[in-house]
Amino acid sequence: MLAIYSDETSWWQDTPADEMDATLAAYGAFSDEARASGVLVSEAGLEPPPEAKTVRMRSGAAVITDGPYADGKEQLGGFYVLDCATIDEAAEWAAKLPIGDDGCVEIRAIIE
Amino acid sequence: MKYLLALFGDESRWGEATPEQQAASMKGWDDFTKATIEAGVHLGGEGLQPSATATTVAIPESGDPIVSDGPFAETKEQLAGYYLLDCKDLDDVLGWAKRIPMAGGTVEVRPVMDYEARGSEAHSNEAGAAR
Repeated sequence: MLAIYSDETSWWQDTPADEMDATLAAYGAFSDEARASGVLVSEAGLEPPPEAKTVRMRSGAAVITDGPYADGKEQLGGFYVLDCATIDEAAEWAAKLPIGDDGCVEIRAIIE
Repeated sequence: MKYLLALFGDESRWGEATPEQQAASMKGWDDFTKATIEAGVHLGGEGLQPSATATTVAIPESGDPIVSDGPFAETKEQLAGYYLLDCKDLDDVLGWAKRIPMAGGTVEVRPVMDYEARGSEAHSNEAGAAR
């Protein structure tokens, strides 16, 4: 699983429409390449962090708050599940992601 | 509407659990997953191996990507897995999120981007929807 973290809030607020379209198209090209290579299992991009709700399980009760899990500058923006032979191969795919501007991709193996 | 439920928890709890507690926990996850499948809302979901097995790729504004061992955030709670559910509204998905069998854990619920509504033809959710 490639979990994508970047400065989501400023991207949604400050990116001009044409630049946003170009980035979405670049993600589309990445997905198409991964699909054509046969490694793409699943993927999703997420709506902006302000639309998030967070559910915390505390002493058997669910506490629901507005906003994302972490208050940090960088937020979860989406994910890919890729079927790769090694984590190095997954890292090569991650390096092709068009996240730009100091984004970060966490790669984790899935439990079988 | 498709929603991502991102699961965050303290992974050390798993290592400290007895085999019986681990088996009971796995049954809780299996029961939850089966319930989402039977309700027709399940699009996908996976559990992740411990964050010590993570590799992180940082993409700088210029220059080559930087690959390092370990997770993105060095926090007590770590990304533990996810569910991708197709629910009719936020109340519906929050009802599912409350049933996640992760005592002491946290679930971030986010709507999935509708690429068509944003005019992106190149991008589709097909692979996600197929699961």
